[in-house]
Amino acid sequence: MSLADALSFLPGLATALAKPAEDAAALRQLAEWCGRYSPWTAPDGADGVRIEITGSAHLWGGERALAADLAARLDRRGVASRIVIADTLGAAWAMARFAEASDNVVILAPGELRAALASLPVEALRLDPITAQGLRRVGLKRVGDLYAMPRDALARRFGETVARLLDQALDEMPEPLSPLGEVPSRRVRLSFAEPITEPAALMLATERLTADLVLRLAREGTGARRLALVFHRVDGRVERISLGTARPSRDPRHIVALFRERLDTIDPGLGVEDMILAAYAVEPLPAEQIGLLGHSAGNETSGIAPLLDRLGNRLGLAAISQLEPRESHIPERASVRVAIGEALASSVTPAKAGAQGQLAPGPGSLDPRLRGDDGIRPPRPIRLFEPPEPVEAFWLLPDDPPFRFMWRRRRHRVMRADGPERIADEWWLPGASGEVDAIRDYYRVEDEEGRRFWLFRAGLHGGDRKPRWFVHGVFS
Amino acid sequence: MAHGVLPFGVAAIDRALPGGGLARGALHEILGVDGDEEDGALAAAFAAHILGHLTRPPTSPSRSLKRPGSSLSSLKGGGEGRGEVGVVLWCLPRPDLYGPGLAAYGLDPGRVVLARVARDAEILWAMEEGLRAPGIVAVVGEVGSLPMVASRRLQLSAERSGIMAFLLRRWRDGGQAARERALPNAAVTRWRIAALPSRPSLDEPGVGNPRWRVELLRCRGGEPASWEMPAWEMPAWEMEVPDATDHVSLAAALADRPAAPVASEKYRRAG
Repeated sequence: MSLADALSFLPGLATALAKPAEDAAALRQLAEWCGRYSPWTAPDGADGVRIEITGSAHLWGGERALAADLAARLDRRGVASRIVIADTLGAAWAMARFAEASDNVVILAPGELRAALASLPVEALRLDPITAQGLRRVGLKRVGDLYAMPRDALARRFGETVARLLDQALDEMPEPLSPLGEVPSRRVRLSFAEPITEPAALMLATERLTADLVLRLAREGTGARRLALVFHRVDGRVERISLGTARPSRDPRHIVALFRERLDTIDPGLGVEDMILAAYAVEPLPAEQIGLLGHSAGNETSGIAPLLDRLGNRLGLAAISQLEPRESHIPERASVRVAIGEALASSVTPAKAGAQGQLAPGPGSLDPRLRGDDGIRPPRPIRLFEPPEPVEAFWLLPDDPPFRFMWRRRRHRVMRADGPERIADEWWLPGASGEVDAIRDYYRVEDEEGRRFWLFRAGLHGGDRKPRWFVHGVFS
Repeated sequence: MAHGVLPFGVAAIDRALPGGGLARGALHEILGVDGDEEDGALAAAFAAHILGHLTRPPTSPSRSLKRPGSSLSSLKGGGEGRGEVGVVLWCLPRPDLYGPGLAAYGLDPGRVVLARVARDAEILWAMEEGLRAPGIVAVVGEVGSLPMVASRRLQLSAERSGIMAFLLRRWRDGGQAARERALPNAAVTRWRIAALPSRPSLDEPGVGNPRWRVELLRCRGGEPASWEMPAWEMPAWEMEVPDATDHVSLAAALADRPAAPVASEKYRRAG
């Protein structure tokens, strides 16, 4: 019926524009809020939320208490709802939408599944309208009518979907729920009788949650690499702090300090009623001596790791790196920045060897691979520009360094020069171009002030393209 | 001077500094000259040399780089005995610091943790965090603008922890340089390092050995001074000499200005 027709029937009809995008966002927010009951939640279609409560109902004192809590909270928020707890997603979906029940909370006991669904219309199987119409046309109007049908006949006539949905609703075929977000491996929750807003109270709650989580991690001999602290607000908004650590950690002081730094970014609104601390990535972390009374535990790692985490959580872990030498004669590949998280994770064992005073060069140390076979290394600049900066250069003979060049709008007269040092593409690597342009002739030049630059010419003379000049670095 | 000093090992410079060396647990500022104010190459080299001193264990039988101390291991636990080993936190806006270049000044790149931070305020924050952390021996920050309050905070943090802090000033353009250069800050010393042209040499064409003018512009409890000296850069082959002693004593090559011309060549080959 069009709007004009409807209005002619009922002139006082209240109308509102449909806003599907906003509806979806609100539903998603609701699903996220439902995270207080279980980590496995997801929006379902345009009007539902699925929650997998297997194993978490007992935390609320049973399914009935959980449903009652959920209903009361939804009611308080002004959300009209029908809550169904059933053995299968399909059955819960069907009952929530098609069952005629007076109560808005329905709990299906395991044995009641078949009987409860039998009287529902076939649409309750989550069928598309065309298939449902087809079923109705041949007289299959209720879900119960399908029970007696042989599955293969059903599949032949109406497609695999009908048989599958029926089996899934009746718990004869599994149906996994894909959750809204990543499912944490460890999770602790704290609910408050009265919503809290005070930063001090939030801090205290954070400490308690951390202590809880740490206890569990310690029992399992693991440490967390990624953590999230989730705040469920009274108004249904969900705020979170996510952070990562350079090393697995279960030091409560350290974890609390990381959260404390970010706690001021949380807007508690009218109050926070639940807080959930979840550890996403956990890694084995054997028991270790944690320093006594602030003395370092004799192990420098524990000294610097908290710093790296603090820096990493504010600046991004990728911003914290180490210089690692690599076996390459291409200058920009000979020394690479390795993000600290990777560097630490990848090389725990060689460090042990190094610590005992052996000369095994660890992967960050200056080792013989850096040098040429003859042991003589040409000088390298202290600053290397990435990418090299193009300059306008003037030269006389093909193999000469320039006698003058313009760089950053300044003119430099070349007084002295060393070179060329030819560095060509690593043609044995995949992706090497093998082009003339990939050949670089490096010169170390000194200008009239005594500043030293590392210039190179890309390309050769006599080709189709003029060679180009770049400043790749500055010496000191 | 509550935390002692780190001698340069260069008599002329150490004489000019109160206590005979660079104060530990203090903030030091290093400037470049002209074009280098933007790149900070000489400032970085000067700092790398000092840090190289600081991070090499004094008890090591050989201080040549041929025997690197376990480097990453210092991050992951296990230091080589007592003494000053540890990690340098280097905060910089552009990641243009080059590992082999640092190594040439005696600083094992494996000991450096780089923090790439875009804004000056964040760099100063990161430095302050570093100055409070155990396991860190020195903190370096490359900053453009430096409010007095921030430098004061850094100086206090350094005093409290005994960790050395270095500020390398890098200025985007002449305007910023002129503005910032005149501003006071709380650093204990202010250095300016300039490159000098190679000495003309008949028997050695091409670029000669690098030489610096090192100026101590300001020094709490000391007088400004200036020296001309060969750069501290290690020649490539020096690292190959087994059991090299401390890399080359430079003291003899130095003189208070005006410096008598000394052929720097023989000093650089010593060791």
